[in-house]
Amino acid sequence: MTTVATAPERRRRRLSGSTAALGILGLFTIGALLEVLPRIGVLNRRFFPPSSEILTTLIEQLGEGAFWTAVSDTLRGWAIGLTIAMVLGIAVGVIIGSVPFLRDVTSSTIEFLRPIPSVALIPLVVLLYGTKLQSALILIVYAAFWQVLVQVLYGVADVDPVVRDTARSYRFSRWTQLRQVVWPTALPYVMTGFRLAAAVALILQVTAELVIGVPGLGRNLGVAQSSGAVSLTYALVVAVGIIGIAINLFARALERRILNWHPSVRRDVAR
Amino acid sequence: MSMSPFRFSRRAGLAAVATLALTLTACGGDGETTDTASPTTDATTSDEATDDAEAPAETVDLTVGVIPILDVAPIYLGVQEGFFEEEGINLTLELAQGGAAIIPGVVSGQFQFGFSNTISLLLAQDNNLGLKAIANGAQSTDDPMEDFGAVVVPGDSDIQDLTDLEGKRIGVNTLNNIQTTTINQLVREAGGDPSTITYVELPFPDIVQAVANRDVDAGQLVEPFRTLSLNAGDRNLGSNLAGVVDNMEVAMYFTSQAYADENPDIVERFTRAINKSLQYADENPVAAREILGTYTNIDPAVAEAAVLPRWPGEINRDTVQLLAELAVGDGLISAVPDLDVLLP
Amino acid sequence: MRLTSIGRQLLMTIALPVILLALWWVVSADNTSPFWPSLQKILQAFPDTWTSDRVMEDIVPSLARLALGYALALLVGVGLGTVIGLSRPVRAFLEPALEFLRAIPPPVIIPVIALFVGYSGWTSKIIAIALGCLWPILLNTVEGVRGLDEVLVDTARSYRFRRPTYLYQVVLRGSSPQVATGARQALSIGVIMMVISELFAADNGLGAAIVQAQRAFAIPEMWTGIILLGVIGFLLSLIFRLAEWRALAWYRGLRRSERGT
Repeated sequence: MTTVATAPERRRRRLSGSTAALGILGLFTIGALLEVLPRIGVLNRRFFPPSSEILTTLIEQLGEGAFWTAVSDTLRGWAIGLTIAMVLGIAVGVIIGSVPFLRDVTSSTIEFLRPIPSVALIPLVVLLYGTKLQSALILIVYAAFWQVLVQVLYGVADVDPVVRDTARSYRFSRWTQLRQVVWPTALPYVMTGFRLAAAVALILQVTAELVIGVPGLGRNLGVAQSSGAVSLTYALVVAVGIIGIAINLFARALERRILNWHPSVRRDVAR
Repeated sequence: MSMSPFRFSRRAGLAAVATLALTLTACGGDGETTDTASPTTDATTSDEATDDAEAPAETVDLTVGVIPILDVAPIYLGVQEGFFEEEGINLTLELAQGGAAIIPGVVSGQFQFGFSNTISLLLAQDNNLGLKAIANGAQSTDDPMEDFGAVVVPGDSDIQDLTDLEGKRIGVNTLNNIQTTTINQLVREAGGDPSTITYVELPFPDIVQAVANRDVDAGQLVEPFRTLSLNAGDRNLGSNLAGVVDNMEVAMYFTSQAYADENPDIVERFTRAINKSLQYADENPVAAREILGTYTNIDPAVAEAAVLPRWPGEINRDTVQLLAELAVGDGLISAVPDLDVLLP
Repeated sequence: MRLTSIGRQLLMTIALPVILLALWWVVSADNTSPFWPSLQKILQAFPDTWTSDRVMEDIVPSLARLALGYALALLVGVGLGTVIGLSRPVRAFLEPALEFLRAIPPPVIIPVIALFVGYSGWTSKIIAIALGCLWPILLNTVEGVRGLDEVLVDTARSYRFRRPTYLYQVVLRGSSPQVATGARQALSIGVIMMVISELFAADNGLGAAIVQAQRAFAIPEMWTGIILLGVIGFLLSLIFRLAEWRALAWYRGLRRSERGT
């Protein structure tokens, strides 16, 4: 294909600069709002300190070793859970999606199991693994797996019939069909699934830490709550939120790289 | 095409396999020693003789499930002072968020011992979970106005005494548990009808907020929230714990009957160590307040002002009987369990 | 002919679940652990636990709150998502803030909501459910709007479609398959949020009932609640499928015509 000319290149860089600036502005607006509301009494200051106080506490936390241990615990659980969910979701989704018989047989079971909330599994999981990491992993995988599976199923089902017929008339092997036809069609869905699963995985990891006591930021949050340390509670919430943003940025960057041939990404770049 | 999806899929495949392999080792392995909050003990004394005449044969690793609250300060103190080490116990304290995770943890063996409130233990026993309390965990004081629990109302509320609680909304930490049964009893004793009360279940910090916002008419709090709430101007109607009976056995340390049957020696050693820790904490409140800072984020000024529970080295059996009877009366359990089985 | 195809469909639907249930029955029959009661015991507990009074008291309010929260999320999600998807600067402005809010675990968000609307009553729960459901709907709407068929967009522009027509016929219709995906996921998240919101200040509700049974170690009753939750989720998704079937008939027709059948 043609190499990208310099003018679009410059435009792309300028676009990403302004994107970042706008994003920061958005965050800043929230911060300013949360500084003002407690001070003027709309939010009770005892239960929601102004954002300046929260940020100060957060900065203090950055110097604590225990904080960083918690961060790494959380991220580790998140990464492992997400990977398992993705691999399982894609594998199972492609297999089920490609074989109509399997799709029919499993569809009722999927429809039944899917809506069962992971929180309902918490008592079970506590029995099996207590406060060990495995508890959180089971919750994450259970929830994120369905997200990915549904997306993959949609993706596989959305294959352009013309392309599929062309591949068949050229006698592509099953495997080649999968790679060259099914996978690219499903890929945008898979990437959306990844982004959703990444977010769900983080929420569940932190919730498991908060509710059960698996080690990590969520547990620190729970201890802060049980101690009545309001500022610290929100400081840790902000920390979790920042991790959420970082994960989203990571997922988007990944998506852009992988899907740079897809119209939605191309259009953004071209504009 | 410059960046084909297929090249990625190959790389992704390798990455996935690698992570899967990592994961399997993580799952198979014994997992982390989640030691985040227990004070560091020195290297295990494996065969070192101790001063004690009956030197324990070998060190044993035990895990205790606790909640990050005031009540468990003694066990942290005990580890710090080496009482467990003396008994040849290498103790790991696991912070769980609530008794709900601890009782199943003890039943399943993740924890050898746990800390839980008396009524939860009675409930478990009523459902044949086979638990065995082995030591006191925390008791109320004998002064209802100076106890570690309290029923609070907003400073300007028209609720003046316990009979005024009739027909009101009260925030409690757990429904159908020790707070509700004791408040019911208090209202009953004052001549009121507890069945008119609406209990609203909220976590403690949210009870403070709900009282302040008049979302509930009253709230049941324990330290440090009691101090925080009273400092902010709420009024203390009196403790529902000490108010029902002095030195109420509020919580206990327990194990499973199965573990106790199989390891009587270890249980004995643990019991000695924990009783020593409890007595030490009871006699050294300053040290107890200080240790709070190592496993909670309680503000030191609040820790200073908080009323501590009582930590005697023995269980107040009569109050357990009373709680059981109240629980039966409220329909929480079917009958008073055999206390000889439940208690040591 | 029709009878056998209906029969086949029926068989497909119930085959796997029946096998799994049978497996569960057999495996759990001899269980001694109090936390894994036998399936038989669980099923026996059903009629006693879920009397018609209980159903009215617990299930109906839960479902009503879920419906309201979900509807709110749909409205806000599709509306906001369309605006964000169409405008690059708006997306850039809001995205980090939205990602930030979304990463906050639900048990923490509820006290903050309560600061505004209190804990008791329906409002805080509905808002909590709506917030949880919002994200998949919002995300997918944005995706759907971004991924609109180039040709359609350009055609609309060259035919000078008026803004409202453009928004309805091109943007909304074009993104509706993707929006449907989001709405589907939001349904399951909605059920989760329904349960979580009932951990706070709940005196009624299915989620509250499950947690209370767990606390009281009434394990078979707890299991009945979980199973009921699954059944409800299943029924809801069936209803959703029906609605999706009708709303996206045009999409299926389009695909089918492309297929040439």
